[in-house]
Amino acid sequence: MASSQHVLLSPAELAYLHASLSLTPPIRPDGRSPTQFRPLVAETGILPGTNGSARICFADGTEAIVGVKAEVERTRTRHDFPSLDDEGAEDDDDLDNQHDVVKGDNDWVEMTVEIPGYRDDDAGTVFLSAMLSEALLADGEFTKRLWINRRFHWKLYLDILLISPPLSYPLPLLSLTTHLALLATRLPRLKSEGDEDPLFDDDWAAAPYLYTRPGKKGSKKTVAAPTARPPVTLLVMAVGNNIIFDPSKEELAVADVALAVSVGEHTGSTSSKPTEMDIDTEETKGHHNLRLLSVRTIDPPSRLTPPGIPNASNSAYGANAGAKDTEKKKQQQEQARTTESEAVEGVWKAPRGGAKTLVMAALVQKVLEKGGVADEVLDALDGVDLN
Amino acid sequence: MASLKRSFESDPFAQNISSKVYVRSTKSGKVQKIVREVYLRQDIPCSSKLCNSCLKIAPRDAANRPIPFVLSEKPAGTSVFTQGHYIVPDTNAFLSAMDLFEQSSAFYDVVVLQVVLEEVRARSLPLYNRLISLTKSEDKRFYVFFNEFRLETYVTREEGESVNDRNDRAVRKAVKWYNEHLSKTSKKAPAVVMLSNDRDNLRKAKEDDIPAYSLADYVRQLKDGDQLLDMIPEVEERDALIEKKPGQFLYPEYYTLSKMNTGVKNGLLHQGIFNVSPYNYLEGSIRVPAFPKALLILGRENINRAVDGDLVVVEVLPKDQWKEPSTKVIEEETVTKNENPDTEEGSDLISEKERKALQEEAKRTLAKTTEGHALPTAKVVGIIKRNWRQYVGHIDQSSVSSSGQGRKQDSVFVIPMDKKIPKIRLRTRQVAELLGKRILVTIDAWDRTSRHPTGHFVRSLGELETKAAETEALLLEYDVQYRPFPKTVLDCLPKEGHDWKVPASMDDPGWRDRQDLRDLLICSIDPIGCQDIDDALHARALPNGNFEVGVHIADVSHFVKPNNAMDTEASIRGTTVYLVDKRIDMLPMLLGTDLCSLKPYVERYAFSVIWEMNSNADIVGSRFTKSVIKSREAFSYEQAQLRIDDASQQDELTNSIRTLLELSKKLKQKRLDAGALSLSSPEIKVHMESETSDPIDVKTKEHLPTMSLVEEFMLLANTSVAAKIYEAFPQTAILRRHAAPPKTNFDELANQLRVKKGLDLSVESSRALADSLDLCVDPKEPFFNTLIRIMATRCMMSAEYFCSGTQSYPEFRHYGLASEIYTHFTSPIRRYADLMAHRQLAAAIEYEAVHPAVRSRGRLEAVCKNINVRHRNAQLAGRASIAYYVGQALRGKATEEDGFVMKIFSNGFVVLVPRFGIESLIRLRDLAEPEPAATYDAETYTLTTSGSREVKVELFQKVRVRVTDQKDETTGKRGVKMELVSTY
Repeated sequence: MASSQHVLLSPAELAYLHASLSLTPPIRPDGRSPTQFRPLVAETGILPGTNGSARICFADGTEAIVGVKAEVERTRTRHDFPSLDDEGAEDDDDLDNQHDVVKGDNDWVEMTVEIPGYRDDDAGTVFLSAMLSEALLADGEFTKRLWINRRFHWKLYLDILLISPPLSYPLPLLSLTTHLALLATRLPRLKSEGDEDPLFDDDWAAAPYLYTRPGKKGSKKTVAAPTARPPVTLLVMAVGNNIIFDPSKEELAVADVALAVSVGEHTGSTSSKPTEMDIDTEETKGHHNLRLLSVRTIDPPSRLTPPGIPNASNSAYGANAGAKDTEKKKQQQEQARTTESEAVEGVWKAPRGGAKTLVMAALVQKVLEKGGVADEVLDALDGVDLN
Repeated sequence: MASLKRSFESDPFAQNISSKVYVRSTKSGKVQKIVREVYLRQDIPCSSKLCNSCLKIAPRDAANRPIPFVLSEKPAGTSVFTQGHYIVPDTNAFLSAMDLFEQSSAFYDVVVLQVVLEEVRARSLPLYNRLISLTKSEDKRFYVFFNEFRLETYVTREEGESVNDRNDRAVRKAVKWYNEHLSKTSKKAPAVVMLSNDRDNLRKAKEDDIPAYSLADYVRQLKDGDQLLDMIPEVEERDALIEKKPGQFLYPEYYTLSKMNTGVKNGLLHQGIFNVSPYNYLEGSIRVPAFPKALLILGRENINRAVDGDLVVVEVLPKDQWKEPSTKVIEEETVTKNENPDTEEGSDLISEKERKALQEEAKRTLAKTTEGHALPTAKVVGIIKRNWRQYVGHIDQSSVSSSGQGRKQDSVFVIPMDKKIPKIRLRTRQVAELLGKRILVTIDAWDRTSRHPTGHFVRSLGELETKAAETEALLLEYDVQYRPFPKTVLDCLPKEGHDWKVPASMDDPGWRDRQDLRDLLICSIDPIGCQDIDDALHARALPNGNFEVGVHIADVSHFVKPNNAMDTEASIRGTTVYLVDKRIDMLPMLLGTDLCSLKPYVERYAFSVIWEMNSNADIVGSRFTKSVIKSREAFSYEQAQLRIDDASQQDELTNSIRTLLELSKKLKQKRLDAGALSLSSPEIKVHMESETSDPIDVKTKEHLPTMSLVEEFMLLANTSVAAKIYEAFPQTAILRRHAAPPKTNFDELANQLRVKKGLDLSVESSRALADSLDLCVDPKEPFFNTLIRIMATRCMMSAEYFCSGTQSYPEFRHYGLASEIYTHFTSPIRRYADLMAHRQLAAAIEYEAVHPAVRSRGRLEAVCKNINVRHRNAQLAGRASIAYYVGQALRGKATEEDGFVMKIFSNGFVVLVPRFGIESLIRLRDLAEPEPAATYDAETYTLTTSGSREVKVELFQKVRVRVTDQKDETTGKRGVKMELVSTY
């Protein structure tokens, strides 16, 4: 699934769209404000056999399902893990030290993305799955949740399915669905202690959430702070000086720059000093304590669109009709060259070159802003019933 | 967007569908979330004959007749429920007092809820089977109500609710529904009462206004309730243990299951079956794969509440605590004789006397510091599975407090018949009645706070030493199924009964593929009075100078078809059990002694193995066929012998027996050359007075050449059949193997022989062993060789049935017979394994299609496991029966006999008296009064006493003993008592 889907717009239409998006404030084809998301419907727990699942439908008809399955797996002995025989003699001291050795491994998560009509080794699909798992694994905090004891861990299988045709670039949809599914994921409650072979409570109702939620009964504190949540990856683009969130397919076709920005919540585990904690809590009241996890540039399809031709160089408009002498021709050629490199008002020209650092900084800034889009999105997702 | 989830508001059937979600952990360590949809229905009848509404929805059979309802319209009443009542017990009630429900005096009209049935199955399979047979019995009126599928009685698990609590709630809901449902039928509808021994459950029932009683309260309402009261364990207090102070715990706590599993997997802990030494109740052993020799478990604390037969997990103790196995006899009944069953709480774990007994042990080990002899010791850290059964025993007279009178509950000790089982504390109101009786008890629990396990009374078998009580005790103790065959089994018999005949017309389907062998001169040779004749033989000369020899076995598989009730019953019984005065059949009498039995002068179906042999008894060819035979004569061994010896008898039949005898001698020689062992166990026969069947004399069995005639051909048939079925079914053939014993098993005996007699025992192969056993002779003492053979036999493994797919071919070997492959084929009337072999052989010769039952490996393995156990139990029961009758035969007589010392301890020795085939322990204190001092030299196996009596006893020594019978006052057992008269 490439972002560069064929867009059936003429250069003139592209130019028009670009122009309207460049206005201040921009005018989007569907009338949204620049930071407004497309309306979506979400629910969780749709697949009873999974440990957690979610489904999201965007108003444009794209729809995704994510299922999370967990399996107990034996942790391979590694050099930095003390071998079992040595610890046979130690007893209770182990229990105290245990939190120090909680470690995760990126192998513990396996993610597959399926887009209808695309092979699973299609570059676009692979890229999508890489982006999603990168966001999840970036800070190394997530895999720690899968730790059971020094010998066992959970292996998590995330199956991400787009079930509608990819009408728009599905990254935000898939990311949000994955986010919800992970929030809804529960793992059986561990009954055994220490490094014993794990033994679990047979009561599913007692199973704690992978991401524990504050104020929810029965959710026991796991390793990380209880307010943590999985990352979301947002698609942001810039047209001229405007920053536009959640672009539709057409909007993306005229983007100057498109970025996938993954945002997580500050878990607080890095700021262990009590004083800092105090400040954090002060700040995060009502807001999410956001933190940037990864940024990827997306090749916008606009780069592959055919450029429009200015009237001046369009032979159909008689630009060359009367030109007979070589001097005029030469002039015209020069003119044509300038039109290739310089923008002409109202004529579509595919953007060239990479994203400018300043623009990128502005994009990221906008995402992370307090009360900004990411905050809004996370707030909205909080409203989804997770049972 | 329409939600994908099932919407309960919009779906009209939503209330009929529910789902169960739980976590399942598999053995391989996988953890799965399981979602089960439950489809609830309203057409599950209550099955009360009072109810008309349910009659309409009752399931119907093929003829469209409703299946008759179970619960009576006029159920019995109690003092509280005069209008009559139905009973709904919860799981606990069944688990703790199944015996109560089997009573015929009460407990009719019982509703067994599905949730209860499932819980019982999960907790105890034997109890589940008993419950199932109760639900099948027509007169008890037990009805299984599928409450989990009935809409009104289904409950979903609430958050934070344990499975047990949820199930209890389901029971309460079902009781409530039953009450409401029945109250609609009539004004004086019977009450539906919940029975539970769980306080919490009772309390909640009371809150909900559900009629509920504890078992004890309920039984008191019954007419003769007092007698039943003893069968009820105390009401369970869930938190009773927590209230106790830790200081009062006598035993260490068990590890958690996960900790044990991890330990066992890592090899830090070991799992195995716990066995108690028959001579020392404080010494147990456990065989684990990690150690070549069994691990020792010494002392109460290390044994930690394990009972013989339990599957336990042990931890090996540090090396400085390794010990030698005890050379001392410690009997529980003598050491703990005067304990008071009432006031044992808080007392020390190890009583003063026990400590003393153990201390002497320790001293001895310390003094010696013979490191080479010390064995690894271990302690029990957890129990995977209890193997408690019902135990036969009697009340210890000395534990009865003299003040016991009236209806007060007394605590007494029950001493089980099996010495390996610890004594059981029992609370009973009927001490006076039960004294001097054989009683059946079960163990309920063994708490950390209690030195002895607690149990409850099940029923009384009768006066001690009455034949009926002792026989039943024996059968119960060895788990022999002795109840009469149920009707379903008898229904499987041919309708003609005793009039059944081989069909006259050869077109009859019974004749299909059957060979007509009626013209052969076939005869059978069996012990006197044998009624179930399994086998018959024939031999005839062939024109080419060879012989045709046939072994004809009763065609039981013709009558017992796989998977019908009779087959199932036979597979459970596994074998016919022979007691001195009684035979407990595997198959109903009609088959065993008539239709299958190869009686003389009548035509019978048979399964024949026919060889062509040359005069050297080499097999030229062999074939297997179903046949019809007509036996010419049924000889006893003695008759056959007389006939052979009588030279004037020159008829064809006698000559053919002579041929058989000649061939059998050659076969035997070949077998011995191959290294077959001739083993020995003391075999004796009890002669009974024909009228009263009281034992009058004991004789050792004679051995006649005709016996080995039959034996050789049976062995040959078994071997031939084994090869054939293995060829046809390499994965699933039922075979019998006798594993080579580990060399270490013979260490002790070899050492004893070397030290005492200067003889060598080589154990490299069965051949070497056979040869060295032949050399173990004492010119002065002919019995010595037999003695060594008896002792060598005890060092060996027991032979076992197995399914060929479970072992590799070299493991098939039968060590004792020195045969590469072996099975049992020749006694299908009395052994189930033979019946399976018949079916497999029939399929192998394409007589019939392979039945799934003889093809499924899992099932065959289960069958093998069962028949191995049954076989062993049958042997033990037979021996115990002989021992009992020997005791009875000697009653009131005192005889002096020769005996041999076969085992020696520091405070006693075991003497075997060949004439009676009995062995008995003579303790030091039996030698003289007061007990003489003794020194025991373990190196030379010599016990020298001094003081009140001076004797020197050595291993293998011939001694003169006086054999009397004696009733031990504490054990209540009449046993043989031996006194040492003199040494030779």
